[in-house]
Amino acid sequence: MDAPTADRSSPLKAFAIGLPLAYSLAFFVLPLAFLVLLGFFVVEDFQVVPALSLENYLDIAQHLFAQSNYALAIAQSLWVSLTTAFFAVLLCYPMVLAIVYLAPPTRHRLLLLLAVAPFWSSYVLRLFSWQLLLAKKGIINSALAWAGLEDLQFSLIYTQIATRIGLIHYLSPILIVVLYVTVANIDRDLIQAARDLGATRWQAFRRVILPMSRTGLVVSGSFAAIVSFGDVLSGALLGGGAGTSILGSVPLFSNMIMTEYASSTNLPRTSALAMILVLVMILMLAAGTALAERNKIDAG
Amino acid sequence: MLAGGGAPPAVDLELRGIAKSFGDFTALERVDLSIERGEFVAIMGPSGCGKTTLLRIVAGLESMSSGQLLLRGHDISALPVHKRSTRLVWQNFALFPHLDVRRNIAFGLTLGRHDKAAVRAKVEQIAELVQLGPFLDRRIGQLSGGQKQRVAIARALVTEPEILLLDEPLSALDAHLRIRMQSEMKRLQQRLGLSFLYVTHNQSEAFAMADRVVVMNKGRIEQVGPPEEIYTRPRTHFVAEFVGNNNIFDGKVVDVQAGLVKVQCADGIISAATDGRPPGRGSTVSLVVQADKVSSRPSGVPAENSLGAVLSGREFTGSQVIYHLETAHGVEVKMVAQEPFGQAERAGINTTMQLYWSPADTVILRPNIVPSVENIPGRRSYVALGT
Amino acid sequence: MQADRDGWAWRVAGRAYMAVGYLFLVLPIATMIVFSFQKGQFASIPGQGWTFQWYGKLLEDGALLEALGNSLIVSPLAATGACVLGFLAAYAAHRFRFRGRGAFSVLLVLPILIPPLILGVAFLGLLSRIGLQGQLLSVILTHMVVVLAPAMAVIQLRLGQMPSALEEAAWDLGATELQSLYKVVLPFALPGIAGGWLLAFTFSFDEFIIAWFVSGFEQTLPVAVYAYIVGSIDPSLNAIGSIVFALSMLSLIGVELLLFPLFLSRSKSVN
Repeated sequence: MDAPTADRSSPLKAFAIGLPLAYSLAFFVLPLAFLVLLGFFVVEDFQVVPALSLENYLDIAQHLFAQSNYALAIAQSLWVSLTTAFFAVLLCYPMVLAIVYLAPPTRHRLLLLLAVAPFWSSYVLRLFSWQLLLAKKGIINSALAWAGLEDLQFSLIYTQIATRIGLIHYLSPILIVVLYVTVANIDRDLIQAARDLGATRWQAFRRVILPMSRTGLVVSGSFAAIVSFGDVLSGALLGGGAGTSILGSVPLFSNMIMTEYASSTNLPRTSALAMILVLVMILMLAAGTALAERNKIDAG
Repeated sequence: MLAGGGAPPAVDLELRGIAKSFGDFTALERVDLSIERGEFVAIMGPSGCGKTTLLRIVAGLESMSSGQLLLRGHDISALPVHKRSTRLVWQNFALFPHLDVRRNIAFGLTLGRHDKAAVRAKVEQIAELVQLGPFLDRRIGQLSGGQKQRVAIARALVTEPEILLLDEPLSALDAHLRIRMQSEMKRLQQRLGLSFLYVTHNQSEAFAMADRVVVMNKGRIEQVGPPEEIYTRPRTHFVAEFVGNNNIFDGKVVDVQAGLVKVQCADGIISAATDGRPPGRGSTVSLVVQADKVSSRPSGVPAENSLGAVLSGREFTGSQVIYHLETAHGVEVKMVAQEPFGQAERAGINTTMQLYWSPADTVILRPNIVPSVENIPGRRSYVALGT
Repeated sequence: MQADRDGWAWRVAGRAYMAVGYLFLVLPIATMIVFSFQKGQFASIPGQGWTFQWYGKLLEDGALLEALGNSLIVSPLAATGACVLGFLAAYAAHRFRFRGRGAFSVLLVLPILIPPLILGVAFLGLLSRIGLQGQLLSVILTHMVVVLAPAMAVIQLRLGQMPSALEEAAWDLGATELQSLYKVVLPFALPGIAGGWLLAFTFSFDEFIIAWFVSGFEQTLPVAVYAYIVGSIDPSLNAIGSIVFALSMLSLIGVELLLFPLFLSRSKSVN
């Protein structure tokens, strides 16, 4: 549609588009572009030299399996994020099913609000609380001792299991909301039809609800995996920086980048590492999208 | 199109060759129109005919691809919307929800420097005129549809525009209210002596209020004239189909004599009265007969037309009954019953009936390639003769 | 669902699961609030008695409160900046049809989808080149880019409800573009701007990583808290956490009150 005459001579148009665009270019595109570029610079005598070279990446490749062992860190991150995503979805999905199918519709808004409640406190501080809860002599263990159940005591802190707990707690609010939208959109009539045809509840779930949730599940799972991969806080505060998992006491890749930055003065090198992180995340995104496409169900 | 008689009237609005295209799509094809001071002109047509686009071009909300727009003699073609002294009244009122009635009405007056007391007086004066006096301090959400429409009109009028543009302003109101508002609006317009350009898709509304009616179709003006003329003397095929209840018969002229044109149609010969320039023998024409000129009883008029048809349906519209019939060759005919309990009433579906009407009530349309004010040179259209 | 008798096992199981689930979600917050009033350096059960000492310590020590103060400077300013940019961008996307309009919107929303770790490194890289790192200003400028997304999204949602006839009516009555913008569009968009502001504020207030990278000695609250946690177990963190929770809860209730009516009313009617 053609622009109204008022649009033709509109200085407001230039300003309204220009200002946000300029800001985004200056403070978003530019830094990111610079980050990519920085990965190709080197540091000589404590000065960043803007000379393009692959030195950083070669250096990282050298240390991939030796010394800093980046490969293992990446593996650890992949392992933790994928399992986190799996369990997060596994735990949130029944929750959403319970909300949608057990709770009266008038309560849904309230229940969703409560699910989002953790969002109301700071992530860092929540992790501090988890520390208190999961510590060796923390709240849960001391409560178990007090109740005479010493045998049930565990030592979760500084393992990647603790990291996962922190991440799942962080992701739950978003996952619940996203999955709620998916499940709530499943036509009730379909379920009623299945029941009418003689399906038990379990069958109705497996044959109707689950297939129709597939896309939503894949999407939220991918989202959870990608966010987990890029997260630093849970790994640092609950995982202790190099939390133990079945892969051993290996730090997460994201934590490794943070420590590298804190300990060394080689920003170009840290940037190169960050670019590798981005690369893996893009690959995860591509895989997730491909998976989601394959699982798309036509409602019609 | 100037009205006759007296001193030459002042022309308020003149559209010269207004055309508008959106990419490949032509919304308006060279529209020419003049509106005189104090005239109520209604533009009528099916959806998509371009009437709203035309109105918005006059208001300045759409640009035109070519043409000229003159308001009281001044060329406003390039003038931006906020500088024009046209005012638009919207179908959905477009009232500002965060302002009360008073401030809505005063909006146009409070944009620059203004005398608060003078503005207040003007607002109250216009509110009295549209009977909104007691509602001035209400919020928009508290008003009924009819009241909102009045606020919209008041808001436009208080700025003393040179012409008022209305885009289906009564469409959002219910039927009863609409009819009441029609007469109120007409009275208001006459009292103010202000030109109104009024877009509607509702025929009875256009006929009830307008001094002249413009019928548009596919971006072109089909016919312009007083309501009676549009109704009884359609000039194009489209107008004949669109306005009122008309029957159309196509055929070839076989004989012309003594003011009577005989046309061979699918179901027989139909006679039409003519004076002026009758079409030549052998030319293709369309004949238009109003449904309420058709009767099931002969009236004995010389050369009265007669046609046999089968009754296929009856339509009760409250004020009249419309009979739908079909001839042996499948031509649809409509008849409006003149006597509620006449012969037609007693006839059942699928009965064959004989229909009668006078040649004087038969309008001739024929293809015309003679250029005239309504036609684009070279464009073929059906134009009535003998009018 | 119908109350058929044979479904009761599912219902009981479902309700139990929900209860456990909500317990999990609420656990750390409850812990935080409860133990902010508990004596004892190390949180454990049974408790060691109730006290206000940790709140007192906050006031004495001052470091955490100072960081809270910094956050209360940074986040409102970042939110305001984001709302100004967000309103302009939302208005542009709403009203003008220009090539690349879709890309424009995507570009402005993109920052929130990029892992903050990457953004932190990137921002530091740029800011250190122009000497703007290590200040509260750095945090404000970088947060603005990120929280622009929620602010703009909410404002766009609200503007989408504005019938185009409204602005056209203002122009028709003689208003210039600017007059129409602040006399008609802005009042209409206000609930969206307010909701967007609160959302942007909440995001900024809780943001840790970017702030960690770009700030210096003047720290925002999450950064200061992080330093504390890594340094020692200090129950006054529970105290500050409870305060933050209360603050966030208030602003998010505000968001809820402003936004839900917007989400629910899908009609484009002027009233």
